[in-house]
Amino acid sequence: MSFREKIHWVAFVALFLAFGWYFATYPWAIIDTPAGVGAGAAKLVPVAIIILGAMALVSVISVVRNPKETHVQEDEREKSIHHRGTHIAYYLLILGVWANLFAIFYHVSAAGRLNLLIATAVIAELVRVGVQLYYYRRGV
Amino acid sequence: MLPFDNDIRTLRFLAGEVTQAELGDAAGVTRQTIAAIEQGKYSPSLEVAMRIARHFGKRVDDVFVWREI
Repeated sequence: MSFREKIHWVAFVALFLAFGWYFATYPWAIIDTPAGVGAGAAKLVPVAIIILGAMALVSVISVVRNPKETHVQEDEREKSIHHRGTHIAYYLLILGVWANLFAIFYHVSAAGRLNLLIATAVIAELVRVGVQLYYYRRGV
Repeated sequence: MLPFDNDIRTLRFLAGEVTQAELGDAAGVTRQTIAAIEQGKYSPSLEVAMRIARHFGKRVDDVFVWREI
């Protein structure tokens, strides 16, 4: 398994677990109050630490174990895989943008819109990385 | 499934067990990409196909053989 594929697996699992925790423990009862935005912002700090920490840890371990592999340039197959993932995730991002526009029109609370934005970004990113992992395994 | 087969594994053997990493370096791709091409999981660009063929002193259609479906 290449270094980039490993990093993709780590990103996928870390995103899933970190944002799974975020949405499972978010205090939904206060979403329509100003405190809802603060609660979301406060929870994003540990989420970012989990994701960045996991990716940094695996990167460091990979550099120590196989330094040559981590410096290999992305080749045409990997670029093709990355384009496919980004292409599909783009449609989800657009859907999320439209959902946020409607949320503004319908006067959804600031915290509601914040969580909708976060969900949009997380789902698009999970799909992007997931599609790329699928093509890494199946081939393109 | 790709509409062509390839003889890269055989050519690597005949060239003295050239490794996938060595061939990848010669063709400008990673070891994993050479493995994917060998297994028929990736259709390389014409440039990479020509680099692989040239590495073995062969023509592209000696390395990649069209399969009638």
